[in-house]
Amino acid sequence: MSMPKPDPLADLPWPKPEAPGEAVSAKICGACTKNLCPKRGLSALSRLCLCLAVSGLVASFGYWFGVRHQRSELGLRVGLYGAVAWGLVQAAVLYIGFAPRRGVLGSRSVRVGLAVLFPVLFLGYLSYAAWSYVPFEQFSHGARASHAFFCGLIALGFGAIVGGCVLLAWRGTDPITPRLSGTLAGFVGGVGGALAVGIGCPSHEAWHLWTAHGLIVLALGLMGFVAGRRLLSP
Amino acid sequence: MTAYSVSIWPALEAACLTSERSPSLAESTSEQLMERYVDGEAEAFEFLYRRVSPNLMGYLLRLTRNRERAEDLLQITFSKIHRARGSFLKGAPVLPWILAIARRSFLDERRSAQVRTEDLSPDGSLPEQQNEERPLPAELSDALEVALDRLPENYREAIVLTKITGLSVAEAASVLGATETAVKLRVHRGYTQLRKELEQYSRTP
Repeated sequence: MSMPKPDPLADLPWPKPEAPGEAVSAKICGACTKNLCPKRGLSALSRLCLCLAVSGLVASFGYWFGVRHQRSELGLRVGLYGAVAWGLVQAAVLYIGFAPRRGVLGSRSVRVGLAVLFPVLFLGYLSYAAWSYVPFEQFSHGARASHAFFCGLIALGFGAIVGGCVLLAWRGTDPITPRLSGTLAGFVGGVGGALAVGIGCPSHEAWHLWTAHGLIVLALGLMGFVAGRRLLSP
Repeated sequence: MTAYSVSIWPALEAACLTSERSPSLAESTSEQLMERYVDGEAEAFEFLYRRVSPNLMGYLLRLTRNRERAEDLLQITFSKIHRARGSFLKGAPVLPWILAIARRSFLDERRSAQVRTEDLSPDGSLPEQQNEERPLPAELSDALEVALDRLPENYREAIVLTKITGLSVAEAASVLGATETAVKLRVHRGYTQLRKELEQYSRTP
């Protein structure tokens, strides 16, 4: 049995907490209790479900687009399964990243690890899902490049909708690490947008997936980092 | 008889359920008080204020080293809490949440103060920085305050949060946005410096 480690600072006469002045206290209590009415926001679970619903809505739009433009059944099915599986990952990221946590899951290092691992895993998934490969010189010119640009633009729009929804749903909830949470929101949005476009997109070429679908995730993560400080901090 | 029992039962049931669900304000935890404040109970806010304001004031005093600024920041912090009470997530620990808002307010205020223009003295020169070293006072408790002031800010914050505000290392880490290991390291380094500063007191009989 090990003895508890003695506190090396215990012998010092630490100052006692100090009460603020009476006038200041009266002012604060007066201002905060004047016409006080219930102000209950959504629960963490409702916020999480709202974000997933928007992500699902965007993905279903991608599916509708794919069916309308007669994409191959196999491509649609692979995209849909991917969207469902990544939807679960998005739910886990939102839960760990945003819901109130205690213990190991609440530690900052876990969330930093998540912010690094999540986009890396998604880029890995895109590489795995690529069926063909053309050299970059061929990809960067002509129809392939313009298709990638168009795809990237739509993915950015979809991702901004999902990411914006995450930021607004969790608005003012994180005074401690708003930038980190904002980055996670951007990644969740980016993955949502990339998956939605991926369902309806006919291209399964590696460069196309990395640039038009993958880079969007990183771009939105960066936007979330910037916006998080303003939107997620109370 | 039946009419009497029918009319009294819901009131009795409501009274029992209410007393079961909500403990008295004095017995409530800070989290429960926050919940009741969010639900619009003014008294719960006053209890919560009385419970957290000394810790918060102590923390802000040591961050700003100025009572007036600390009180201003206290008001700013509570006005932010009041505005953001709807976004407080049920189950989240209250004190680290409040301290984090206070810390953010302090950093914002300091940042805006840095870009403020400096007043020139009558002869047109910039006022000089006062870097005088305060000697340690005779009383150990006063000396501790001076020695704390002399610590680098990140060490001082870690020590104030864990030793004076009474947060756990994990809670202090969440307020500072650092890892627990980093907070432990800062406390330890701060402690080593404090000991060095206060050595003369251990030598005196």
